[in-house]
Amino acid sequence: MSDLQLSRICKSYGSLEVIKGVDLDIKSGEFVVFVGPSGCGKSTLLRMIAGLEEITSGDLTIDGERMNDVDPSKRGIAMVFQSYALYPHMTVRENMGFALRFAGVAKAEIERRVGEAAKILELDPLLDRKPKQLSGGQRQRVAIGRAIVRHPKIFLFDEPLSNLDAELRVHMRIEIARLHKTLAATIVYVTHDQVEAMTLADKIVVMRGGVVEQVGSPLELYDDPANLFVAGFIGSPKMNFLKGVVEPGEGGQPCVCLPDHADAKIPVQLKAAAPGTPVIIGIRPEHFNETGAATLDVAIDMLEHLGGETFAYARHGKGDLVVIETKSGRGLKSGDRIAARFDPASALVFDVNGRRLR
Amino acid sequence: MTNGIGRAAGGLLTYGFLGLMAFLSVFPFFWMALGATNSSIDIIKGRVLPGAALATNVSTFFTQVNAPLVFWNSAKIAILSTVLTLAVSSLAGYGFEIFRSRHRERLYRAMLLTLMIPFAALMIPLFIMMGKAGLINTHIAVVLPTIGSAFVVFYFRQCTKAFPSELRDAAKVDGLKEWQIFLFIYVPVMRSTYAAAFIIVFMTAWNNYLWPLIVLQSNDTKTITLVISSLASAYYPDYGVVMVGTILATLPTLAVFFFMQRQFVQGMLGSVK
Repeated sequence: MSDLQLSRICKSYGSLEVIKGVDLDIKSGEFVVFVGPSGCGKSTLLRMIAGLEEITSGDLTIDGERMNDVDPSKRGIAMVFQSYALYPHMTVRENMGFALRFAGVAKAEIERRVGEAAKILELDPLLDRKPKQLSGGQRQRVAIGRAIVRHPKIFLFDEPLSNLDAELRVHMRIEIARLHKTLAATIVYVTHDQVEAMTLADKIVVMRGGVVEQVGSPLELYDDPANLFVAGFIGSPKMNFLKGVVEPGEGGQPCVCLPDHADAKIPVQLKAAAPGTPVIIGIRPEHFNETGAATLDVAIDMLEHLGGETFAYARHGKGDLVVIETKSGRGLKSGDRIAARFDPASALVFDVNGRRLR
Repeated sequence: MTNGIGRAAGGLLTYGFLGLMAFLSVFPFFWMALGATNSSIDIIKGRVLPGAALATNVSTFFTQVNAPLVFWNSAKIAILSTVLTLAVSSLAGYGFEIFRSRHRERLYRAMLLTLMIPFAALMIPLFIMMGKAGLINTHIAVVLPTIGSAFVVFYFRQCTKAFPSELRDAAKVDGLKEWQIFLFIYVPVMRSTYAAAFIIVFMTAWNNYLWPLIVLQSNDTKTITLVISSLASAYYPDYGVVMVGTILATLPTLAVFFFMQRQFVQGMLGSVK
């Protein structure tokens, strides 16, 4: 277990800056997940921690020791790659013990560590097979085993579940969570799948364009996003965004008028926005209910019945599409007009630049 | 009905064409084998049936030719050329693909341009160079010009594109230096590519004729291709003996090909699975 600190970390390829001054503190034993859209720099940042990409400026420290120029194998990290990166000409046993062999670890100790990791990951019967004789899930377990045997201070995972099918992904997600609990390891994990991020992370780092947008626990990010991007990125289906204008409401409480929704008035708690200010209201699909005080009159375009719940894709006239999650949507059909209700307190307000207004 | 006739006619044409091509490919070998059993006169007369002169032809060949020395010379040159070419060219191909630099592509294109230069244009400068280095009439003089093969570098670079960069990353995290990655990861992973290149380079080196003809001047340094050529260009060439020599000269390349054909096909298709 180990502390990892990134301080003003930058990465440039010529004049193109891809990581722009990232500051981050990762405590010993934490499971930290980097999420963000493709090209946001999350994998590059992970590779910089691993030592596979040079750090243009800033400091990377592990347990207080500056690691910028330290060889990847001497940073005390182990990495699990998206494509597993198993050596195809070696057996599972050889793959797992390869790094130790190169580090000059005694043969008996290699055998012991490989055996130990194989036991944790239930790989014992597969030790003498070659990677091509394994399924995707088994290969992924070998890749994790290869990391475990090194007893690293920090585990780095680069989208490790992306190549697996949906069922196996869920299974491996649980395996990784169990592993984190068993080893009490510090883990830095990159994914673009926010379900993985929400279920695995102690702390999520949301990135966009080489910048950290917000850092926090999964529920902090879900309940209290700092901006429109984080609000839209965390949560599935994504949050609905409706354009509106701040107006003075009853009893001095401001409200947001939604011109695309027949001038519906949504009372909001705002200290900083003056009447007339254009804003964006954010409502999560799951926050629609049957008792909320605010109402949107919409017509259903399309329905998705998932069994337990239904997603209704609806709009008012030619306004923005609104996604509504409902538990009682089996009787609905396309073209139905409904009053979509929600609690105004659950609505979030953003300015036109995407900053959260409180 | 019309469709059926059309399809049959198309099939006939296709198989007819393929049969002709197969005949053109196989007939020289067939004729070579038949020729080895016939006397020179029968061959000149165009006899294409097995004859009874095989024993005489074989015996004459081994009387006229110091076969062990000639085959040893050919084998030495072919193996040395192949091993050195693969070592140098695979390193170059790997380097061109893996390492980035400002002038990489320019240098690579310049190297590929050398493929356009005919060997005839290089013969005299090469001969002068070898002469100045005191290497005329040595096997090193035959091997040296073959080592830096632009084609093999090109082939390895193309195949290296399929070498997963994550394997290299994993090896770095495992503590391997660049040369160790090449030796312990790249070479074994790309073994099909090496096998395919081995066959191509070995056959080229074994069949090399023009350059050895120029630099190898004494009988004790000559290769099998030169000896067969000298048999065929005698005042009264014994074609039966020439055919025996040709068959014997073909055997090593056939053996190499059959031994490595599975790897060869994999290498041609792309070696990383």
